[in-house]
Parts: sequence; structure tokens; C-alpha cells
Amino acid sequence: MKIKVKCFSQVKYALGENEIILEMETGSTTLGLEKIIREKADGKLDGVSLRVAVNQQYQSEETILTDGDEVAFIPPVQGG
Amino acid sequence: MVIVEIINGPIVPFPSNDDRNQDGAELVFNGRVRDTEHGHKIIALEYEQYEGMAEAELTTLAEDTCKKFPINDLFCKHRMGRVGIGETSLHVSIWAKHRKQAIEAMDWFIFELKKRVPIWKWAIHPDGTKVPSECTH
Repeated sequence: MKIKVKCFSQVKYALGENEIILEMETGSTTLGLEKIIREKADGKLDGVSLRVAVNQQYQSEETILTDGDEVAFIPPVQGG
Repeated sequence: MVIVEIINGPIVPFPSNDDRNQDGAELVFNGRVRDTEHGHKIIALEYEQYEGMAEAELTTLAEDTCKKFPINDLFCKHRMGRVGIGETSLHVSIWAKHRKQAIEAMDWFIFELKKRVPIWKWAIHPDGTKVPSECTH
């Protein structure tokens, strides 16, 4: 299945991408995807807390992903 | 009533109003860009949003604020893109019967905005480099 990862702020800076399309196995979860993203960042996201949103909704628990989901790992927000 | 706008370009403040007979308080907040971030000189901030989610979260937050506090209206504009030093990035106007409730609502609204609305800022340094801001105040 294909998952779109939207990148913002420190995630964008670490990965050098606005978004990434990843091919993942059926049954993959947000936690597994976060691990992949952190590995891609090669340490640049160490110590950065990330909340996860799936299809623009915050998720408080690990969530099973489905084909076509849009996921964002959201670093601390800074509006204002 | 709530009005929430995420806009590019300079913020035009919400108009004041002399015809509201029930509201004793009109509280206006303008958040402006300072010339330093974490002690480093900057020449501008660049705001970034998660398009769609940012406006949805901001609207929900404005509605939550109107439910939590006895206020009548909350109007908010947040600017995106490059914002120069001294310019307004956030404009909020709250109407309430009394000032105390308006002030408490304003403080809570902005505190929560900085916790849950997916908006970030990038610091633009004098040499033109752009890095994610570390400021969460």
C-alpha cells in the first residue's frame, strides 16, 4: 500500500522533502512509520517529539494505516 | 460567533464596532515578529502551515474557547509566508460582556494555539539562510 508522508518544520529540514510516498506492507502502523522516518533522518530528529496525524486528524494511539493514507509527524507547533 | 482566517499577505485588522450594546469589552491582540530568535538576529520569520488541518484546528479551538469562557465572539487571523520584523503575524479580537472573561479567554486561546494548531515558523537570518525556529513561546 502507498502512504503519503507530509513533512513540516524540523521533519522537512531533516529529510529535505515536502512529502514522501512510501510503499508499506498491509497492517503497518503509525509507530512503524515513525521509526522509518526517524531512520531516514539519520539522527537529525533525535530528541524531537513528534505527534502523529492521519488524514489531518491527531492520533493519540498507534493507528493501523490503510492504502492512500496521508500521515504527518508533527514537531512542536509554533503559531502566533 | 467565530471567524478564522489563515492568510497570505499583511493582516488587515477586524473592524471595531460601536453598535454592540451587550459587550463591555473588546479585546484586541496583535502578535508581532521580533528581531531576534533565541538571541540570534533575524530579518524575518516565515510561517508554514499544514494546509487544511491548521484552519480546521484553529476553528475548533476558537469554538472551544467560546464554549469554555463567557464570551460572545472570537475573530482570528493568522498570517502565513514571510513576515517582516515588527509586522503582525497573529491578530485576535474577542468581544465579551466583561474584560476579565475576555482576557482569560484570550490567554487560553493563544496558549492552546501554540500547543495544537499545526503552524510553524522558520527563522530567516541576515545571510539569507532559513532554519526551523526553536522558539515555542
